[in-house]
Amino acid sequence: MSSAQRPDSFGRFGKFGGKYVPETLMHALEELENAFNSLAADEDFQRESSLFCEADGEGPLIYLKREDLNHTGAHKINNAVAQALLAKRLGKKRIIAETGAGQHGVATATVCARFGLECVIYMGAQDMERQALNVFRMRLLGAEVRVVHSGTATLKDATSEAIRDWVTNVETTHYILGSVAGPHPYPMMVREFHAVIGKETRKQALEKWGGKPDVLVACVGGGSNAMGLFHEFVDDKDVRLIGVEAAGFGLDSGKHAATLTKGEVGVLHGAMSYLLQDEDGQIVEPHSISAGLDYPGVGPEHSFLKDLGRAEYHSITDEEALEAFKRLSRLEGIIPALETSHALAYLEKLCPSLPNGSKVVLNCSGRGDKDVQTAIKYLKV
Amino acid sequence: MACCNVETIFGLGNIGRKLQVFPSHNYKASVISCVAVGPSQTPQVPWKLVFHEKERSLLSNEKYGIYGGKFVPETLISPLTKLDYEFNSALRDPLFQMELEVTLRDYVGRETPLYFAQRLTDYYKSINRGTGPDIYLKREDLNHGGAHKINNAIAQAMLAKRMGCKSVMAATGAGQHGVATAAACAKLSLECTIFMGSLDMERQPSNVLLMKHLGAKVKSVNGNFKDAVSEGIRNWVNDLETSYFLAGAAVGPHPCPTMVREFQSIIGKETRKQAMEKWGGKPDVLVACVGSGSNALGLFHEFILDQDVRLIGVEAGGTGLDSGKHSATMARGEVGVYHGAMSYLLQDEEGQIIGPHSIGVGLEYPGVSPELSYLKDIGRAEFSSVTDEQALEAYKRLCRLEGIFPALESSHALAFLGKLCSTLKDGEKVVVNLSGRGDKDAAAVFNHTPKHE
Repeated sequence: MSSAQRPDSFGRFGKFGGKYVPETLMHALEELENAFNSLAADEDFQRESSLFCEADGEGPLIYLKREDLNHTGAHKINNAVAQALLAKRLGKKRIIAETGAGQHGVATATVCARFGLECVIYMGAQDMERQALNVFRMRLLGAEVRVVHSGTATLKDATSEAIRDWVTNVETTHYILGSVAGPHPYPMMVREFHAVIGKETRKQALEKWGGKPDVLVACVGGGSNAMGLFHEFVDDKDVRLIGVEAAGFGLDSGKHAATLTKGEVGVLHGAMSYLLQDEDGQIVEPHSISAGLDYPGVGPEHSFLKDLGRAEYHSITDEEALEAFKRLSRLEGIIPALETSHALAYLEKLCPSLPNGSKVVLNCSGRGDKDVQTAIKYLKV
Repeated sequence: MACCNVETIFGLGNIGRKLQVFPSHNYKASVISCVAVGPSQTPQVPWKLVFHEKERSLLSNEKYGIYGGKFVPETLISPLTKLDYEFNSALRDPLFQMELEVTLRDYVGRETPLYFAQRLTDYYKSINRGTGPDIYLKREDLNHGGAHKINNAIAQAMLAKRMGCKSVMAATGAGQHGVATAAACAKLSLECTIFMGSLDMERQPSNVLLMKHLGAKVKSVNGNFKDAVSEGIRNWVNDLETSYFLAGAAVGPHPCPTMVREFQSIIGKETRKQAMEKWGGKPDVLVACVGSGSNALGLFHEFILDQDVRLIGVEAGGTGLDSGKHSATMARGEVGVYHGAMSYLLQDEEGQIIGPHSIGVGLEYPGVSPELSYLKDIGRAEFSSVTDEQALEAYKRLCRLEGIFPALESSHALAFLGKLCSTLKDGEKVVVNLSGRGDKDAAAVFNHTPKHE
């Protein structure tokens, strides 16, 4: 199945994906899919992010796709803006969203302010404590932040609560899902809205060196920034796709978020995909130093690409990520998000294996201003 | 001002190190044949090389009317002259210009958008009987580092490298210039020392952390920005051979104000082009906050000779002009010499500097750019001020209406719209320089906000 046909009309990527939702949501999802198909992107927020290269002595040339320069500091806004426009088209006045680290919450609150929509953000109580400033920012933007105490009070619980809200208020409310997870049409929609990253990269690569990238590297939490970069190149067999997940304290410690390496197939939040579960099928609590990668599931399309062998998935520990965070800051004067730092850390293992002069494009998915406090504790700067 | 009208001002034997005035009609050469192109650069005609004759008087002056100059000890005269020479040489060097252009595009993220703030426009119209100007925001907050400061920092760091310097020193108030300098030094592998006032370090701790992460040494100086500048210059004098003092503000002895203004002027150049694209004309009014004046000059300079464009600078009124706790140099200052230049400054009857105050840390400077002082005297630019409270209101308003966090400094310019919009005709075009993003100020705003909000 070529990438143009993915997903199929049932929202499946092979056996992954689908629409595992209560009956009340089926109509809303169909409506959403129809509206999406007839949507044109809004030019105002679309701005080419730059492709920035630092030439090395020997080995590959490393290019950074500067999604950190976007308004609000991460790639999340690409999707938030487009979905807000979609919601307006559907005549919805109210927006809900879930958030872990707060980046998606802030991006959603931002676009709701811009478009004059009511906004409710669900956030786990534990996450609210770690990210108090992001909570305040969302409130400044006019959003209501609702605390979630159920379960372990983190991202997956916030997501469940948001879905519950949507089921109740589906007439008036649109749910802006932050990643390529969830029931169809979300994985497809969010991918399409982030695909601008890959499209720009193709154009910029052609301008800069008259060819395509050889390797694409991106961090994977839910998988939105990775799909955004990869999707354009999935049918180009000569382009390697590498996703990097969070290995937390190490894959054998049991405290990580490396879903594609250690997970098994199951259904979570409306879609079939790999997920971290125990023998009873209960969700295992993930861990990563970076809140954005701290998700026990992963987008169904990534599960599909892994099984197909089209994309490779590796993982990086908290410590390796912190090293990479420090390295990029010192060498390039760019402070990357801790999530992005996972992708950067993988360069240590990747570069020695690549021929001289090959072109690596790494998705610099967000800026690290939000992580300086965390990093200081560990790095003793 | 279109790219196709550029004439490159060099002949093959004269690239770089000669400081001469080239009559532009003598040389017309193709850039492509003379310039080596690195692996990551596409050959492009650098549009920055033209100096129109009428610009010359504004460009290379030591003085603007009576303002500016070089009021410095004798030991500094020689390095300042050398700096002036190197600066002019770099401006005329197509290799430098091309590298700068690529860096501004790929590293800083230029060009920044000129964004039509629909909801803000509608808001002001709704409180003014349905009429009012169209408000555009020049998004300098989207630059790498989050403010306009990087435009100048990266260009000067490149200049320092070109001059063979190994280390860079700088002084910072709010921290934005410090962060921009630290980032630029990391990228160009220069050693970096930032001087910051202890009071400022307390108010902007996140910026201190950012500088440290970027590998800079941060030295605390008792007091605030003006004390940090003094300490920075003192340290520079001890090591003039290999170190470079990177000025972030459009103040100081010549050539600092000129250099900073020149590197920031890309803001105005882009604005002219974008205004032409968007509505086929020029802006009617330009508004910018004024601390030392770097972002204001960056926006204004391009339009100084366009008499039909109004230039409005907004200073920090602190807790009110009569309270004595403000930073409104143009409103309440008198002419004097400070940090090497003559300009307006806040001084008492004995000529001692009055400590300024503002909630916008970057606006807290008792002096102001000599060029702006001159523009005020000749009536070309107008200056006003807003209080801390008004700035906080404007901060919250932009968050709610447009989903953008403005820096508290930029919020001063936004707050002025309250007084401005009712005086303008329907559909007039106002461009406000959104000089920085306000993530660094969220905590300060939080502390000022009553808890029930």
